[in-house]
Amino acid sequence: MGTPFDITYVFDYFVKLLPSLRITLVIVEFSLLIGLGVGLIVALPRLYRIPVLQRFSQVYVSFFRGTPILIQLFLFYYGLPEMLKLVHLDVSKVPALYFVIFAYALNSGAYLSEAIRGAVVSVDRGQVEAAYAIGMTGYQSFARIVLPQALALALPVFANHTLAHLKDTSLAFSLGIMELTGKAQTLPTMSRHFIESYLSLAAIYFIICIVLEKLFAVVERRLFRHEGGSVKAGKAVGGLKRLSRRFPAGLDLPKEGARS
Amino acid sequence: MKLDPAFIWTAFIQLLSAVPTTLELTAVSVLCGLLIGTAAALVRIYRVPVLHPLASAYVTFIRGTPMLTHLLLIMFGLPMIIDSVAEGLGLPFRSVSIPMIGFAFISFSITAGAYMSEVVRSGILAVNRGQFEAAYSIGMTTPQLLRRIVLPQAFASALPNLSSAVIGTMHSTTLAFIASVVEINAKAQIVASTNWKFFEAYIAAALLFWGLTIAVERLTALLEKRIHIYNRGGVA
Repeated sequence: MGTPFDITYVFDYFVKLLPSLRITLVIVEFSLLIGLGVGLIVALPRLYRIPVLQRFSQVYVSFFRGTPILIQLFLFYYGLPEMLKLVHLDVSKVPALYFVIFAYALNSGAYLSEAIRGAVVSVDRGQVEAAYAIGMTGYQSFARIVLPQALALALPVFANHTLAHLKDTSLAFSLGIMELTGKAQTLPTMSRHFIESYLSLAAIYFIICIVLEKLFAVVERRLFRHEGGSVKAGKAVGGLKRLSRRFPAGLDLPKEGARS
Repeated sequence: MKLDPAFIWTAFIQLLSAVPTTLELTAVSVLCGLLIGTAAALVRIYRVPVLHPLASAYVTFIRGTPMLTHLLLIMFGLPMIIDSVAEGLGLPFRSVSIPMIGFAFISFSITAGAYMSEVVRSGILAVNRGQFEAAYSIGMTTPQLLRRIVLPQAFASALPNLSSAVIGTMHSTTLAFIASVVEINAKAQIVASTNWKFFEAYIAAALLFWGLTIAVERLTALLEKRIHIYNRGGVA
């Protein structure tokens, strides 16, 4: 403070911040990948109503969605080494980045499990029945029929979560990780041009968010290109459309489903 | 070092003194956010000429950047603007006299406003078009229509989103420690720093937040039930 605003610093810091973008993206990528796995594992007991495990995953999701990510970060940073010491595993030399990724992964696991659950539930029940009817096993019908459809349905939620997650990673600086935000806070310590640094920080986040949003829109359009029309229309007349695709001209079905 | 369950309880009791600050931050930013959000949503829905692109830009920018950057920008930028304006006008007022929590209030309200505007907008758009036409046809003015017909129904349909926005805001008030406001997170650090039992203190803080979140969820469920009492069999 006290230094006058100088626009040239914004551009200067913008360039200087770009290298630390890598760490932010590393956190986002790895925690999302692990989070997807965790989310799938956590969603399964609730989908198949497995007696005891169902409760566990309910509590897990409730806890991680019910506490702030910042608290979770500190909890893992301070707690995980203690916990691992009980099983005689010394992690005091492990860089903080791993704890951060771990905390973010468990956090997004909770959110993604809800997304996966919602998507799987919204896949038409008849699809599973049809899969069973032609003799698929439980695993086959899940892996071949339900999951691909559910993934497409979960994509918008996943895109939302990714963007929110990217913004959440700005909190990693509180554990001393030198990602974008951490760098933006240390860069201007000499020049005292804090605002300029934060402005370029905001600009970088903004640009990544816009780019990601556009990317997800493209992927979404690709995934739903079979459905034709918008997602909502595809869902509403889904059953009839599938029939009409199967029986092109011979039957009257397409006329019945006049909307398609 | 072993886990000390007794200290979790001690920390929990001490953390309770920070709960009012967290709730105050949440309440102020949610209320101001709702005001800003409703204004922005209305401007966008009615496509008010000059304000419409401004509101869109505000919502896009705030939702595209982390909340932390808003707080930092407000904390460092606002005093500069206030001081230069006050100096230009020759006023004796200086930004130093603003308490730090004020910056947290302003920044959180601005952030919440952008998210709330999307909640309110989706709520208003969910109201049946016929409701607007019916209100106009019996001669209501636009403010009357909004106050008596649209906003109550929009509130009902936006309630689930609103509740998650409130929870989100409550969770992000943990950032206020950057502005040296002693809310639950900062208090946990203070409590822990006396005897270095950070893990226990943060367990207590997490449990506290978990409880608060569940309380908000329960309240929403109650409210929802109440709203649906007179909404049942209606248009929805």
